[in-house]
Amino acid sequence: MPQVGDLRAKMSSLLEALDKWLCRPITVMEVCGTHTVSIFRSGIRTMLPEGVRLLSGPGCPVCVTDQAEVDAMVRLAKRPGVVLATYGDMVRVPGSCGSLAEARASGAEVAVVSSAIQALALAGSIQDKEIVFAGIGFETTAPATAVLLREARSKNVKNLSVLSLHKLVPPVLRLLASDPMLNIDGFLLPGHVSTIIGTAPYAFLVEEYGKACAVAGFEPLDIMAGIVEIARQICEGRPAVRRLYGRVVRYEGNVKAQELLEEVFRPASVRWRGIGLVEASGLVLADDYSDFDAYSRFGITLEEVSPPAGCRCGDVLAGRITPPECPLFGRSCTPQFPVGPCMVSSEGSCSAYYRYSSKGVSPWGA
Amino acid sequence: MGRLSLGHGSGGRLTNDLIKEIASTFARGSGMLEFEDCALLPGGWGVTIDGFTVSPLSFPGGDIGKLAICGSVNDLAVRGVRPLWLAMSLLAEEGLDEEELLVYMRSAASVCAELGVQLVAGDTKVLPRGEADRLYITTCAMGKNEAISPWGIKEVSPGDAIIVSGPVGRHGAVIASLRYDIKLRELESDCAPLWPLIEPLTRLRGVHAARDCTRGGLGTVLCEWAEGANVGIEIDEEAIPADGDVSAVSDILGFDPLYLACEGTAVFAIASERAETVLETLCSHPIGRSAAVIGKVTEAHPGLVGLRTAAGGMRVVDMQGGELLPRIC
Ligand code: SF4
Repeated sequence: MPQVGDLRAKMSSLLEALDKWLCRPITVMEVCGTHTVSIFRSGIRTMLPEGVRLLSGPGCPVCVTDQAEVDAMVRLAKRPGVVLATYGDMVRVPGSCGSLAEARASGAEVAVVSSAIQALALAGSIQDKEIVFAGIGFETTAPATAVLLREARSKNVKNLSVLSLHKLVPPVLRLLASDPMLNIDGFLLPGHVSTIIGTAPYAFLVEEYGKACAVAGFEPLDIMAGIVEIARQICEGRPAVRRLYGRVVRYEGNVKAQELLEEVFRPASVRWRGIGLVEASGLVLADDYSDFDAYSRFGITLEEVSPPAGCRCGDVLAGRITPPECPLFGRSCTPQFPVGPCMVSSEGSCSAYYRYSSKGVSPWGA
Repeated sequence: MGRLSLGHGSGGRLTNDLIKEIASTFARGSGMLEFEDCALLPGGWGVTIDGFTVSPLSFPGGDIGKLAICGSVNDLAVRGVRPLWLAMSLLAEEGLDEEELLVYMRSAASVCAELGVQLVAGDTKVLPRGEADRLYITTCAMGKNEAISPWGIKEVSPGDAIIVSGPVGRHGAVIASLRYDIKLRELESDCAPLWPLIEPLTRLRGVHAARDCTRGGLGTVLCEWAEGANVGIEIDEEAIPADGDVSAVSDILGFDPLYLACEGTAVFAIASERAETVLETLCSHPIGRSAAVIGKVTEAHPGLVGLRTAAGGMRVVDMQGGELLPRIC
């Protein structure tokens, strides 16, 4: 762990470098929610020169889960004989007819797990019930769901199925990169997703859209180094995908994990909250695993439903507005009484703005 | 109005709202509306009451007996009140081992002996199995105000130095590490009586306010001061005394040490010209040896607490919104 004084010294030399490389105002999107929270906690926004605008992106897994998907989970949880297992952050997200937490309060069975494989143990210990694991998250959590499915198949577990709500990062980046309204110059890409998929899937951002890209870790210094790298690429007119997370991110990523994903899942077009249907941006179970597919086992179809009235999570996720621009922010929507998932999740932009910048009116800017 | 959640007991914003609701049902002037750690009564008496439930009942650095005495006598100490008398009520669950109970009572008694506090009233109830979690203790402490000037939120003024008496978050971190089964050899709760540390300050000028940073931690106390005195507060993350193990637990579990409970660590608002004297006095006592000035009270941004982060940026310190850790004190 670096000494604190040391940290400030390193930070100021990075800021000097940024000053040198900032030839014009730039807009950088931090794609991942973990980046967003770290940026707020360390006060990075208050240190940046005026010419750098940071946009928060769609990288909070709970936040991008579509309203129809939340509703499907709640409906499943309410079915007699079903135990719905999922990650903790999901439980408080309001659906059209209440959240999983509310369903649980009125008798539905909801189990909170911290890893996918715990669902297997649940299936073993509650044999007279159907365990449905709702798999949430990006390339980082999908391999854990894949392991669960592989195990369940090899052990021939009958009372377990998976509702796959997994999403993929690169396809949604294409959408954001091509949005003329956003005018993003560079992407700060998440280190942990890249550990799995490598950097090749981001190449189109450079080749087709000319965007600067840096794959960075989550400590304040990593993030600042990423921003400097993006400024440098823009100033030199040489966009590229640079890995600053070098030790763990390889160009080809984690091939074993990729093979696992390919075996268990296949890509499908899925709906993202506020962003809509994105081609090949989700993972559904491959044919070999269709026996474990909760969609077919319980006859679930996802219909388009409207998000909570007035909630602008979708616009927040797509970088179209900042949270304080949502009329409900800090008024009817607070971390205690959240209206949308972006205020529920600890990684959500609305919650980060609320907690770390005094409801968006910080005297220190940002 | 909804149902109570664990967040209502976490010492943050929800707790404050609930206390205000409860106080408003009592007649005005019933004295509860001061929102200080203890009430000052006519004649220079101070009184406070506190309930203790902790799981596990015994932890590195203390147990529920020691905690139940320290907790309430510290609430007196931070207003300059010397603790003298104690009343105690026990709610025990059927089946609790009697010898175990006596172990807790002995550690309670030894804190009382150290401070010269007398147990003068008590009550014991045993609840049927399952209706309580082993043992709850409530203590009411009373004593005499010895401070030469009044200490309280209302006295906190722009220019004051903010001083903290030691590394923050140790009690909360110990309980969290036990509950989540994280092994740390060195970490102990800071659970200790504060009166020996604070007594010399009662004779000094320039002490404006003191608080022990229990539930809700240092962050919550500072937010209450900023709001209650309508002043701004700025602190420097680099200056806050830190404990390596607390940082480690916080990193693993995603907690912010600013909000972790302390049970023997206090924060002070001191007139700037007296800050050095107070700091020296604190540092000369073993539990105050790593005391430090961590920031100042400002006229700017009334109601808000700002933190200069270790990285060098600024951010707002908000009162903890909801549940952080259930039942740690
Ligand atoms: S502030 Fe609340 S209502 Fe507005 S976008 Fe965020 S989560 Fe939705």
